[in-house]
Amino acid sequence: MNHVDDDAELYALGLTERDRDAHIEAHLAECDACRARVVAAEEAVAALSAALPAMPPAHARRAWIAPLATAASVVFAVTAGVEGIAAHSASAELARNGAALSAMAASHFGHTTMTATQPGVIAKAIYARDGTWCYVVVDGAPRGSHVLLRHGGREVDAGALEGAAPATLFTAAAGKPTGVAVVAGARTIARGTPVY
Amino acid sequence: MSVEARRVARDEGAFDFAYRAYAPRLRAVAFAVLHDRDAAEDAVHGALTRIWSGGGYRAERGPLLPFLIACVRREAIDALRSSGRRQRRELRAAAIDPVAVDPIAAIDPLEARRVKRALDALSAPQRDVVVRAYFGGRTLAEIAADVNVPLGTVKSRLSAALRALHSNLTEGTP
Repeated sequence: MNHVDDDAELYALGLTERDRDAHIEAHLAECDACRARVVAAEEAVAALSAALPAMPPAHARRAWIAPLATAASVVFAVTAGVEGIAAHSASAELARNGAALSAMAASHFGHTTMTATQPGVIAKAIYARDGTWCYVVVDGAPRGSHVLLRHGGREVDAGALEGAAPATLFTAAAGKPTGVAVVAGARTIARGTPVY
Repeated sequence: MSVEARRVARDEGAFDFAYRAYAPRLRAVAFAVLHDRDAAEDAVHGALTRIWSGGGYRAERGPLLPFLIACVRREAIDALRSSGRRQRRELRAAAIDPVAVDPIAAIDPLEARRVKRALDALSAPQRDVVVRAYFGGRTLAEIAADVNVPLGTVKSRLSAALRALHSNLTEGTP
């Protein structure tokens, strides 16, 4: 195909026609000059992005957020803070997690401190009593650790923890797991038992 | 673990890393186009999914973040084109002064100051099309209508403006 020419800059801005984009990208794989031109344009566009304001936080105008975030931080201060998870960072993590907050606002929940089987790990599970969600907060877990939910004799992978200090995972439609485990690879590093 | 499983695990690791490291910047990029939080999140996730399911990214392609930003912009612009969100967004965007680049409110205030200097060093017509295209989230046709010049002129002006901006940014590094 022909060289990209002035489309290099338009492509970097996302302003080329989409039916051309695949051809442009394929051409870049084989043409150093065009690739260099597109990369330069993408770098200029990336620099512009530094001047953007951050995206406003989730649901900033909903009135329930502030009291709920406070309530959540109290839960953590009482149940987790004394055990070493900084209540401040836990509540900041919660404030970022709109899904967890809105679920907590809508339901009764219980919480359990999980038993760590690896030194330095502190984990808690907060869960809806009606089984609609489960929120797992772990401090000291290796990056990429997963949460498993036990249903009957089966353990279901609920996904990877996100973030760090603490890492969290919010699972909607969790059911009423009889056990919650945090695993790093094949190793179980914490285990807990929700009570409904 | 099979070679394929290892490759998938590595890709998922890379995806996860990119998402955690760059999500705030990528969300801001998508939000600047869409002016809608949920749609911006979707655009970021859609772009990353598309990259990693479509053969991924190779280091030879160029630096990762600028590449991701370009992909997110394409995804966001597509979402805008294909939705009824457009009119709503335009009403909102009309209330925003598209020429103001405020380093204080920026994600990266120091870098934003450098960008502002590089923008200020462009000719007025060049700066105008860059600001409309990037900060105003306008399409080429809209810019042509806004500034009352032919579409071809908008394309060549925007292309030249971005090259000049890149050169200002690389030469004018304080």
